[in-house]
Amino acid sequence: MSTRTIEIMVGLFVAAGIAALFMLAMKVSNLATYGGDEGYIISASFDNIGGLKVRSLVSASGVRVGQVTGIEYDSDGYEARVTMSIDPQYDKFPTDTAASIMTSGLLGEQYVGLQPGAEEEYLKAGSEVELTQSALVLEQIIGQFLYNMAEEK
Amino acid sequence: MHKKVQALTIPAQRIKIIPDSHPLPKGHDLSDTLIKIRGLKFSRGERMIIDGIDMDIPRKGITAIMGPSGTGKTTLLKLIGGQLHPDAGSIEVDGQNVHKLKTSQLYALRKRMGMLFQSGALLTDLSVFENVAYPLREHTRLSEGLIRQLVLLKLNAVGLRGAAQLMPSELSGGMARRVAMARAISLDPMMIMYDEPFTGQDPISKGVLVKLIRELNNVLDICSIVVSHDVQETLSIADYVYVISDGEIVGHGRPEDCKVSDSEWIRQFIDGLADGPVPFHYPAESVLDDLITGNTKS
Amino acid sequence: MMLLFDKLQSLGHSSLTSLQRLGRGHVFLMQVLPAMEGMLFRPGLLIRQMYSVGVLTLLIIVVAGLFVGMVMALQSYYALVDFGAEDSVSVMVVLSLLRELGPVVTALLFAGRAGSALTAEIGLMKATEQLSGMEMMAVNPIERVIAPRFLAGFLSMPLLAAIFSAVGVMGGYLVAVELLGLDAGAFWSQAVSNVDLYHDLGNGMIKSAVFGFVVVWIAVFEGYDCVPTSDGLGKATTRTVVHSSLAVLGLDFVLTALMFSE
Repeated sequence: MSTRTIEIMVGLFVAAGIAALFMLAMKVSNLATYGGDEGYIISASFDNIGGLKVRSLVSASGVRVGQVTGIEYDSDGYEARVTMSIDPQYDKFPTDTAASIMTSGLLGEQYVGLQPGAEEEYLKAGSEVELTQSALVLEQIIGQFLYNMAEEK
Repeated sequence: MHKKVQALTIPAQRIKIIPDSHPLPKGHDLSDTLIKIRGLKFSRGERMIIDGIDMDIPRKGITAIMGPSGTGKTTLLKLIGGQLHPDAGSIEVDGQNVHKLKTSQLYALRKRMGMLFQSGALLTDLSVFENVAYPLREHTRLSEGLIRQLVLLKLNAVGLRGAAQLMPSELSGGMARRVAMARAISLDPMMIMYDEPFTGQDPISKGVLVKLIRELNNVLDICSIVVSHDVQETLSIADYVYVISDGEIVGHGRPEDCKVSDSEWIRQFIDGLADGPVPFHYPAESVLDDLITGNTKS
Repeated sequence: MMLLFDKLQSLGHSSLTSLQRLGRGHVFLMQVLPAMEGMLFRPGLLIRQMYSVGVLTLLIIVVAGLFVGMVMALQSYYALVDFGAEDSVSVMVVLSLLRELGPVVTALLFAGRAGSALTAEIGLMKATEQLSGMEMMAVNPIERVIAPRFLAGFLSMPLLAAIFSAVGVMGGYLVAVELLGLDAGAFWSQAVSNVDLYHDLGNGMIKSAVFGFVVVWIAVFEGYDCVPTSDGLGKATTRTVVHSSLAVLGLDFVLTALMFSE
């Protein structure tokens, strides 16, 4: 086999390998969402974040608008503080937007849902979301339900 | 046991050589030494392969190193080429102690040595032409045209210019060796070492190889070392012969001396006798012990 | 009592031999690594080896990747459909391919296809005195024969693993979407939201590079160190496949423990 054929084959092989890597990066991993670095950061405090994790989704009306970038416990306010990066094209969330922690499906992942309010001004980098609703903890709900049942009897 | 027998018989029967009493062949000057070996010892594991050899190989002419199989002849060539390290002793090639050289110096020295391996050692993924061109491509920056000319000249010298485009797998054993010879002379070395060049060749190939070794040596005017156990072929071309057995030199001299030597050992080797100083039987218990009484240490 | 001592001796002997081999393997590696720089001046040697190590292994990798992806999709569908979580099929397929199956199965196939061929080729070059011949031509065989093969294997492995995973994902897509009728959009979006570029794909690639290094190291060493007879060559080839497979599986555990423990 001529050197030229061999070189062409090797070139194809390397191109195929790089294309495969590229396909994996673009199609099935979150490379596209790494643009999140350029988004603006807002924060919110919750009484209980349940199973929320760093890199969990932030969505509005079911559409992904950003992701959670940090979670820490605020020992002054006895609350969990969640910082989120919102993609720059979604820059029109009113200042009275509410953040709540929701679950996709019964056993699914938890994510932060944003419900826009009605103010004229918009959230910007460093803003704090004031209205928050904590995660629903299944055990608590079931516990409460059982407690209520018992009381009714 | 084996070793003891040899040690007892051989030293007493070394052939005597008086170099000055005979006129040496033209161009064969013993005083101009290319390779000087002193007190060389080499062992593998507990087996002594070369046991104290002194040898002088002249700068011009064909020196043959003969001896039975497995007596360390090939090992000796590898020691000269610096591929193996001796346990003791020294080898000087052209004034340089081979085993004290740095790698780069050793490689520089090897460029001036040609070696022909038993199998030819051609690179199987390259054509005949590329095999001969290989040392030139590795060590020189000649133009493609010049390399082509040189390679075809060298191949012509061994009569294989027409086979330049064949692959090594398409060559017969004798042709492979001739290609390897063309490759060995491609850098115009000062010496060529032939490792068993005649083994396993038909009479015609042997004849061709004999002629080539002789001619190459005369034309290039270099030092050729032929390691072989093919008595007739080797004696017919050698200017000087060393005979080795069990890692020791048991005799040396010019081919004519060997032919008429009365040493029992040399006679056995040259005439191909089955029994002699080298016993027919591998050392063993006596037949009585082994077969009849079954009284053996296993 | 004698028997016990015999056993002890053979145990000691084999441990010493293994240790010796391990030491020789490391010395050998130390000779090969500096010889790599010679590659910069002779890309032709590398390309030829990329062909025999990489391109010729491609077919088995593609076929195996396709089937592994398809089987993964089927199996995870059957397991997940009971929980109504069949949308997560893509997550199962993609994560297991990127993290484990891609690097490990590729390395095992690579050891069987390319590793054994490398050992046999180098061993045969040794047996036919080609390596000695090169040395006597003042050419360092480690630089000309070993280093290109080593580098080609090391570079090919991650590429092969990426191709394996990509083809596997496509196989999974075929089964999940075309055969089982899952939603194509859900297939991709589930994967995107659960697979991390660095954590999953990146670590998988690091794994495959490590495996490639180890497999090709074992392969060229076994060839270079083999007893140059047909028996020794056969044993060396077998050892390449056995040792590199075991090394890959063992290292996989270690690397997984290091990478994916939070």
